[in-house]
This record gives sequence, structure tokens and C-alpha cells, in this order.
Amino acid sequence: MGRKPQKNDSLPGSLDMLILRTLSRRDLHGYGIVQLIQQSSDNELLVEEGSLYPALQRLELNGWIDGVWGVTSNNRRARIYKITAAGRKQLAVETRKYAKLTLAIARVMGAE
Amino acid sequence: MLRRLRYWIESARRSEALREEMELHLAEKAAELQADGMTAERARAEARRRFGNVGLKHEESREIWMTRFWSELGQDIRYGCRTMTANKAFSALAVLSLALGIGANTTIYSFMESILLRSLPVADPESLVVLNWHSRPPRDGSKESVHVMHAVQGMAWPGDKGAMVSGMFPYGAFETLREENPVFSTLFGYFNGLNRNLAVRGQATNASTEYVTGEYFRGLAVSPAAGRLIDSEDDRSGAAPVAVISFATSQQRFGGPSSAIGQPVLVDNVPFTVIGVAPPEFFGVDPAAAPDLYLPLHTNLLVDGARAARMYPDGNYYWIEMMGRLRPGVSMAQAQAALAPRFHQWVAATATTDGERAKLPALMLNPGAAGLGSLRRQYSKPLYVLLTMVGLILAIACVNIANLLLARAAARRREMAVRLSLGAGRLRVVRQLLTESVMLASLGGALGVLFAIWGVRSQALLLSNGQQNFTLHAELNWNVLGVTAALSVVCGLLFGLTPAIQSTRPDVMPALKNGRGGGPRRRAQHVLVVAQIAISFLILVAAGLFVRTLTKLHSVQLGYARENILLFSLNARQAGHRDPEIAIFYADLRKRFESIPGVSSATLSQSSIINAGRAGQAIRGPMKIGAVTIEDARVLAAGPRFLTTMQIPILAGREIDDRDQPGSRPVAVISEELARTYFENENPVGRRITLPDEKRDLEIVGVSANLRYGGLKNEEESAMTVFVAVSQFSPDRMTYALRTAGDPLRFVQSVHEIVREADSRIPVTNVVTQAAEIDRTISRELTFAKLCTGFAVLALLTACVGLYGTVSYNVARQVGEIGIRMALGAQRGAVVWMVLRRVLLLAAVGLAISVPAALSASQLVKSFLFETQPNDPGTLALAGVVLLSAAILAGYAPARRASRIDPLAALRHE
Repeated sequence: MGRKPQKNDSLPGSLDMLILRTLSRRDLHGYGIVQLIQQSSDNELLVEEGSLYPALQRLELNGWIDGVWGVTSNNRRARIYKITAAGRKQLAVETRKYAKLTLAIARVMGAE
Repeated sequence: MLRRLRYWIESARRSEALREEMELHLAEKAAELQADGMTAERARAEARRRFGNVGLKHEESREIWMTRFWSELGQDIRYGCRTMTANKAFSALAVLSLALGIGANTTIYSFMESILLRSLPVADPESLVVLNWHSRPPRDGSKESVHVMHAVQGMAWPGDKGAMVSGMFPYGAFETLREENPVFSTLFGYFNGLNRNLAVRGQATNASTEYVTGEYFRGLAVSPAAGRLIDSEDDRSGAAPVAVISFATSQQRFGGPSSAIGQPVLVDNVPFTVIGVAPPEFFGVDPAAAPDLYLPLHTNLLVDGARAARMYPDGNYYWIEMMGRLRPGVSMAQAQAALAPRFHQWVAATATTDGERAKLPALMLNPGAAGLGSLRRQYSKPLYVLLTMVGLILAIACVNIANLLLARAAARRREMAVRLSLGAGRLRVVRQLLTESVMLASLGGALGVLFAIWGVRSQALLLSNGQQNFTLHAELNWNVLGVTAALSVVCGLLFGLTPAIQSTRPDVMPALKNGRGGGPRRRAQHVLVVAQIAISFLILVAAGLFVRTLTKLHSVQLGYARENILLFSLNARQAGHRDPEIAIFYADLRKRFESIPGVSSATLSQSSIINAGRAGQAIRGPMKIGAVTIEDARVLAAGPRFLTTMQIPILAGREIDDRDQPGSRPVAVISEELARTYFENENPVGRRITLPDEKRDLEIVGVSANLRYGGLKNEEESAMTVFVAVSQFSPDRMTYALRTAGDPLRFVQSVHEIVREADSRIPVTNVVTQAAEIDRTISRELTFAKLCTGFAVLALLTACVGLYGTVSYNVARQVGEIGIRMALGAQRGAVVWMVLRRVLLLAAVGLAISVPAALSASQLVKSFLFETQPNDPGTLALAGVVLLSAAILAGYAPARRASRIDPLAALRHE
């Protein structure tokens, strides 16, 4: 089994950013988002699967993503999410915030 | 927010979609795990394990769009329902008292809405304006009438600062203002044509008529239900006489709008052709009237003859009324500024003396969207008085429920304390309590609407009081229902707030410890009870004053019979009968009525006695006996057997009878008061009296007992009456009176048959018993007395329930104290007195606050009272006694219970 992958709960709110970033690459359904996040983080990040759905609802309510019924790669009915223009703007904002934050953390850690 | 709402509405569908998404997720995960080599079963379990709590996550996701507010509201409502069903008696009492209060308010408000707020059912009513004028009163200071208004046909009413206001104008003013009018797109005129005889295919009925100018329908922007409406071509002297009828008339008389077009009709025996039917919702410009018939203005020359011809050229004859439609973009103030000088210039030319020039009428525009204001003038003040009373009743109901809630809050103290100590936010608990009270109020409101449906119906009956053509149509429309809903919610918040705040006071610890005490709550309760008593007293006083007024009116000595008399009116002149044949026609009819089995005597007169001087042509002015002028005697033209039928005793000589024919010697019968004043001890029979009109000399043939001439409220009326023979004058309309055995209304059928036989063109109108005719003149007093008595009983009951509740609660709290007192030897009587003393104290404080309030508030209803002072000490005292007795009654039951407390049990309980 090896090393236990890290759960994404260290930075609150970062799940939203990860979802937006993932959807900015490709339109996906819920499970697809989980998989893609895992793959692109080399299995370093493990999304708590249950938390994905409240997050999706929140993002949709804010108008950042848009879910429509579609068909998955293995021909099953699923809600496919795509990022909206407002969502891209939000992603840019969060990315900037995140960069600042990681920089700050890196400085603190480096000063030690 | 909007999106939230949409999400919330679509909640069920979204919830289903979410579930499906999650299922799919689990299935894909399981499939992946299975591909890695797990068994199907283990893969499913593993997928579920990794996902976490499916139900919780579903719930969390839902909450994103459901929002807490709504779900908590749902919780509160469910909880409220449970609390309400757990306290059935309390809930029922609260809902019922609220329903009565809200129902009464809705009823009165729906009448106000229909009278004061509703617009005419025409296009763009906002641009209509009514033309009025105002001037100083015609008779200020001197007795001479010095006013440019020499003759009138219409109404004037008092305006600000004693000014006279009216909507009547001379025809010349209408013509002047109509020419090149820069501010009105249309100016139109109309005037009340009163009741006419409308004969359709030989069948005659009474039809209320409106004379309208050619611009009337165009100005109001009304389109016909059938045919065409009157236009300027129809309104010229010499034009073919045409008529427009109301929608209801077309249905009643022709079987529908389309079959009425082109039909010939007779209006007072003058032939007209029906050219159109007004739309169903149209009732003219006055909400107080609903004309059956619209005739071109100038056709009054045909119908009314010479009298009408005088009206057009005379610049001092005031009769036509006007409305205008503002041109787009012109304000009422601009129109007023443009027209007032023009009218002034015109009216100044009609003044001939300095006195007349000193008080010229000045033009004044008023909003016309709601039509003419006669109903508003008549009913707005009574309605405001009633609205105040029902408002007070609702206030009592609210206070009552607040009080009951406070008492109940005591029972829920532990519950609240537990909730607060477990960490519930105080606001959250207050919100939950408020939800409960608003729920109570909403139920009360819903039930109140049912009460209001019944209320509006019976109130309309009460207000119309048998009046014909009563046009007040109150209804529960959306406007009214909206106000009711708002009222319910406000009530719920009002009576819920104090108890909610009180019971969530953060003194958690003592409450948890023993659940008793609570000084502020008791004080709040006492304040509420005092308020209830004070308000009840106000309503009691009002009811007392109105009942007293009614008793005074009923105790007015009539001097003639009130019961067992049937009245009805006929107008043979409108059906084409002329002098001298008309007198014989009327006399023959009288004999035929007298021959109906069960009718002991029949008579006729120019009007009923109660309406004398108001209906028909009155003979007024100073009379003379020899050289002596009689100032204030009244004349009533009556037929044979009048005194017998009315049961007015004949003191000397004879009454008017069949011997008094048109050609014979003119006679009069005078009342005792007149005889005594002017003939002292001499016998007046055989002497002469001179009437003001035509200087006619009458021979006095008899003396009658005194009677009340005219209305009951008219305090200036004297008891001096002169009866003249109706056949020797030539009045138009006759009111017959039959003295009957048993219920007078049983003879209506026979009357109709006899009249139809004699002349089918004459409709029988205003069929009513003498008692009802008299009550009609005091309908407002009757309504007020009945309603307010009901209100007072309601208020008193509610206040007593509140008092009872409070005292019971106090006794329950003092069980220990009373037990100790009794153990120490206090007598039962002393305990009863101890409890009652507090009741009396509360009542006394309530009265002390209320008496001054009642004294000043009753001044406002002064104009509704008859021979009763607004501060009538008897009424005040009676109201006080009633209230105190009710208070003692309400307090006695708990007091007695307190005196039965077993000291041992009470102390053990402690």
C-alpha cells in the first residue's frame, strides 16, 4: 500500500479551487473530478469523496460552475459540470490568493 | 436570493438528481475497485466506506440550497403544531378571539375599501376631475338670501370653515367652460333625473334616471355592451329622443342587451328609443346611485316640460354637474389655475347686487377617480368610528392572547431554561416562539375571513336597511384579503413579542431551580389586564351612548300609529294622468284599497308623515289667520280618513273626507297646538286660515291631536300642523296608507292586483310598513346601537377571560402563601377578599385611566347622538358598574378556589 495519501483538509476552501482548476481543463462528472485530481497530483491528494457533492452544490449556487445532464465515457447518465466565465474569474482570484499563501508559508518554513 | 428561491422550489427534483449522482459515483468507484481485483461485494462496501456517510453528505448538499432559514422554519412550524395541539383549549380560545377581531376588522375595512378607495370602472380614472365650487354660506348674518344661486336642483354640503360647497352649476357656466378648453380633453355634464316611470311593452316600473350631456360617455371612455351610446348629436333640443339603459335593466326588461336595441319605451309617458346598453360594471359617476336609464340632457324639455325650459337660460339657476378629463400632462392644479378665472368672470356677470358679489362661488377641482363623494361624505365618519371600535376589539384580543401566552410561558419556563442552557441562541428561541404566535394569528386570520364573509353580508343588510337601489357593494377582494393577512401577521408579532422576550430572559439558574417567581412577568400581566379593562370601558361607554340614543329616538312621541300600517307610493302623473281626472283616479283607488278584506281603512297623502317636508313638493312659508302670521306651522296634504287610519284622535269637528272634492270649498284640519296657540279658548272650527301659495283661503273643519311631523331627529319641528285636502291640490306622487289586521305585508299582493287592474302603466313603489319606514330614518342609529352592543359584549367577554386567567394564575402561584395564612387562622372570607381586592384594584386602575379617555373620545361621536350628552353621567356610571361586576364575576371563581385550599396540602406541596 505504501504511503498514505494526504487528505485535503489542510487548507480550507482549497477543494473549491481544485475543482475549478480541474474543470477548467475539461468538463467532467463528479467521479471524474475525483479521479482527475488524484491523477494530476500523482495520487498525493485524495479528495474526500463525500465532500465533493456539497462543494459542487455550493459552486453551482454561486454560479461558478454549471451542471447539465450528459453521458459519461462508459455511456452512463451523469451530471457533467463545466466551468462558467464567473468561475474562471473566481479561479484566478483563488489561485492568486493561494500563491500568496504558499509563498508566505514557504518563507516561514525557510526562516526556521 | 432569487436563485435560492428557485432552488428551494425545485428542491425535490434537485434532491433526486443529487442522489442519482452519488449512486453513479459509488457504482464507478466499485467498478474500478473490482477491476483491481476485489470481489463485487467487497468493492461496493469499500466504495461506500471511502465515500463517507452518504445520507449526511446528501443532507449537507441539500442544505447548501435549502438554507438554514427555511429548514428551521419548517422545524418551528412542526413544533408549533405540536404545541398547539397539546394545548387545545388555549389554542381554540386564542384563534377564536382573534378570528372575531380580525373578522370584524376585515368587514369594516372591506366597506371602507369599497366606499373610500375604489376607482370608477372606466379607462384611466386618474385623469378625471370633478368640478365643484365653494363660497361663503348664503345666509350669514342677515336672514336674506343674498347669493347668486337663486334656484337649485341638487345638493350642497358644508365645507371647511362653514363654507358651502356644491357641484351644481348653471347651464351657462357649463357652456362657457366647454368652449376651447385648454386643460380638459372632454368636459361633460349630467344631473340626477330622479325616478321615472319606464314602460316597456305596457309594463311599467320605476327607473332611476340620469340626464347626461352628449360628451358624457366619450368623456368617461365607456364602450357600450350593445348598440351605441349617447353622443353630441343626440343632445340637442329637437333631436330624436333616444335612451341608453343599464346592463341590468336590459336583462330584466328585454331579456338581454342585444334584444333591447331599437325598442320603443315610454319614459313618463314620453316615447323614447333604446339605442344602447351600458357595460355591466358601469354605474355612472356616483357610487351612491346606479341609474337604470341614461337620457340626453335636453330631453328633459320633453319629459319635464316648462320647468326644464326655464333651467337653460337662467344664469342663477344651479343644477348641472360637471366632470372633466385632463389632457395628458396637465395636472389638476394647472387646470384649476386655468379655469378658475374663467368661471369667476362668468359668475361675476350673473351677480346683480353687492351682497351677491360679496360671496361669489369660486371654482374648485377635486379628484374624480373615485366618482362623486356623496357616499364618502355620508359614510366615511361612521365607518371611521366603527373601524376604531373594531380596532380596539382586536387590541383587546391581542392583549388577551399576550396575557394567556405569558401565563403559559410560566408553564414553559423549565423548557425554555433547558433549551437555553443547552446552548440554544436566545434569538433562535424567540424566533420559534414568534413562529408559534404568528401561526395562531394566521389561523385566526383565516377563520376571521370566514367571519367577514358573513359579516359583510349582514352588515350590508344592516346598512341598507331595506333601502331600494342600495349600491354599496363591499366585497372581499385581494386588496382586502392582503390587508387582513398583513393584519394577522402584525397581530401575531405584537402579542407574541412580549411573552417571547419575557420567557427567554437569561435568568436561567433560578428557573431551573424552582420554576417559580418572576416579578417582571407578573407586572407585565397586570399592565395587560389594566389595558384590557380600559379599552373595554371605552367600548362599553360607546355602546351605552348609542343604545341610549336609540332609546331616546324610540321614545319620541309620534302621536300616530306605528304598527299595522302598510305604505306604498304611486305616481299617476308620470303615467299620463292629468288634472282634474287624476284626483278622481286617486280617490277611486283609495276606495278600492279600503274594500280589501282585512283592511279597516285606507288613506293617501303627499308623503308618509315621517318623510313629510322632505319628499314631494312641500308648501312652506308663513300662513295667516286673519291678520296674524303663523311662523312655524307645517302643511301636509292628506286624503279622506287620514286621521282614522293613522289613529290620530279628532278633538273637534271632522277629518278630511270624500266630501272634499277638487271643486268644493277648500278645507283644513289643524292640530291642537296650533288651535291652542292661535285661537286660545275659542273654537277654531268654522274659522279661516290662509296658505302662502296662491293666497288660498281654507276653512278649518276640525282639530286633531298633536303629532310628530317629519323625522325623529329634527329638533326644530313644531307640533303645529295643518292638514289640507289632497284632492284640492295637485300633487304628483301619492303615498297610500292601509290600516291592516295583522302583518301589513300580507296585503301587498292585493295592492299590486288592484293597481294593475286600474292602470298597468303605474308601478307600485316603496312598499314598506310604517314601522320600517320610521326605522329607515334612524338606520344609522339602529346600526350603531346593534353593532356596538355586540362589540361591547365581545370586549367584555374577552376582558373577563383575560382577568380570569390572570387571577387563576396568581392564585396558583400563591398557594403556599394562602396555605400559610389559613394555617395561621385566616378565614375563608378573608382569603376571598384578598384575591378579589387585587381584581378590584386592577379594575379601578383601568377605569381611572379610561374615564378621562372616554370623556374626550366621546366628543368625537357627538354628532351621532340624539338628546344624549357625550359625557352622559348615567351611561358612564352604568358602564363602570357593568365592568366592575364583570370583573368581580371573573375574579370570584379563582378566589373561591383559593379559599378552598387545604392548608396542609398546600404546605406539603411547598
